[in-house]
Amino acid sequence: MHNFLSLLKNEHIKLYSRFSTWTMYIILGSIILISGLIVFFFSDVGIEEYGADWKTELQAENEEYREIASEDEFMEGAYDADIAKNEFYIQNDMKPASYDAWQLTLENAGLSMLITLFTIIVSAGIVASEFRWGTIKLLLIRPISRSKILLSKYVTVLLFAISMLVFLFIFNLLVGAVFFGMNGVNPSIVQATATGFEQVSIFSEIIMEYGLSMVNLIIMTTFAFMISTLFKNSGMAIGLAIFLMFAGNTLVGVLSQYEWSKFILFANTNLRQYTGNGTPLMEGMTLGFSVTVLIIYYTAFLLISWLSFTKRDIAGS
Amino acid sequence: MNPAMKLVNVRKNIGKKEIIKDISFEIFPGEVFGFLGPNGAGKTTTIRMMVGLISITSGDIHINGMSVKHDFKEAIRHVGAIVENPEMYPFMSGWKNLKHYARMIPGITDDRIREVIDLVGLEKAIHEKVGKYSLGMRQRIGVAQALLHRPSVLILDEPTNGLDPAGIREIRQYIRRLAEEENVAVIVSSHMLAEIELMCDRIGIIKNGEMITVQEVEGSSPKDQDLKVYIEASPKEDAIQVIQSAFETSVMEEDKFIIIHTTKDLIPKINMELVHQGIQVFEIHSKQSSLEDKFFEVIGENTIA
Repeated sequence: MHNFLSLLKNEHIKLYSRFSTWTMYIILGSIILISGLIVFFFSDVGIEEYGADWKTELQAENEEYREIASEDEFMEGAYDADIAKNEFYIQNDMKPASYDAWQLTLENAGLSMLITLFTIIVSAGIVASEFRWGTIKLLLIRPISRSKILLSKYVTVLLFAISMLVFLFIFNLLVGAVFFGMNGVNPSIVQATATGFEQVSIFSEIIMEYGLSMVNLIIMTTFAFMISTLFKNSGMAIGLAIFLMFAGNTLVGVLSQYEWSKFILFANTNLRQYTGNGTPLMEGMTLGFSVTVLIIYYTAFLLISWLSFTKRDIAGS
Repeated sequence: MNPAMKLVNVRKNIGKKEIIKDISFEIFPGEVFGFLGPNGAGKTTTIRMMVGLISITSGDIHINGMSVKHDFKEAIRHVGAIVENPEMYPFMSGWKNLKHYARMIPGITDDRIREVIDLVGLEKAIHEKVGKYSLGMRQRIGVAQALLHRPSVLILDEPTNGLDPAGIREIRQYIRRLAEEENVAVIVSSHMLAEIELMCDRIGIIKNGEMITVQEVEGSSPKDQDLKVYIEASPKEDAIQVIQSAFETSVMEEDKFIIIHTTKDLIPKINMELVHQGIQVFEIHSKQSSLEDKFFEVIGENTIA
């Protein structure tokens, strides 16, 4: 165990000794800051404060929505969700909470896509770079098994993803708190569910959003890890992983007429299809089915990485 | 004495090609063993098998009695090595690089790291990034990482590559010192004969994946005893006759030169005799025969890359 911790320490030192790693944090931080600024200065929908007669204000808002919808046939139905939400507030006699740090954090959960991207880059490089630098030779002639070295690298990638998510979460709250303040420690929020609207804790909502995005992150990162271990080429691993991340859904769409397409990885990475008001991609798909498919792919990726790394002849540089 | 490293019928096939064909030899503690052969002969492949970077197709390698094949961790624990160029992490300082490798083997203190840095003479540059190091400095830091854990077997692949003459001399000296004072078994590979001859006790010559010969390097004294002397004189036929009759030695011819095998103290006498007989002598030079000839003999001159 002691030497595994040493390996983790080594990997972290190598990772954070490079400026490129820090740029990822800087980019993410800047985007959060900018998104906060944009909402603060330009958005009037999100941050409006409701006064004492908030019910009439909401009704007026709904009138406005209906008017736009009836004037322009393209906008028909576009505001239905907003109208329904406002009505839910009125019916349940709940004053809508004002926009705050928690809301910003929830909205920026989409940035976990960026974290997936960064983690893929780190993952694609962590094995391939050792080959590129030639340091793999000096790394593998120590009294430590190759499996342990590979595991330390994989765990480092996961820890990087987690630290980025924590950074995203905390920095969002921080920026949000500065611009919009905070409505208590764990305010509730109205979210659409399969059965209509419901009042839920924003904290659990955020955790769910971040958690769901972790699924895609872990799968694609592990995929990049496998490609990079197999081909010793980080560029290829990054390219392929990112291409599949974006093209995967299209691929599933094109092939959706076939029954077997539900076994494609990308048909299952989005677990949101089983939450709230989501609908499963294909009939017969359940959460259990998707989780099983994901686990099979995940295990296969790890197994291939492990086999290729432990059996490989390190020849030529 | 138990060998520090023992290769037993080692073979390596890649696809259908036989890269290493049945190599066996032993290296003993306190000995510097030279591993000599033209580029592509299989030196690096053999070294990579010794340190477990590539698998052994058949046969086995034992280090201090432990099998590299079956007990890798125990076998490699006492090995320090540079395989080809000593690549380090360019974005970290020399110190951080050494710390990195030190963490992978228990029991290496900061004091030990400083001691090794001292030994290879890198005190001044140790906190600079390795990316800024010259080739010579990189070679030194490579040696430093190999010595960190006081290995009993040291494997150096082309250790003088890219070093200036002073650096080569220094490396040579501390390789000898490690062998003599700390009883380390050192394996040095090279395609340069002269270099290996200077620092090794024994030399194995490898060609096309086969160990052609393993032999002792003689001390410096016999060198003067076995010289190949080239003489350019005119008229050549007369000169040959003079030499044959006066010194009773066999004579060879090569281009404009007359070649004889003789000892150093005979050269002035030959010269005197030739001049005395009215033959014009333009040039006399000698080469040490011994290893170089044998080297070319066994591997053939034209295969040297």
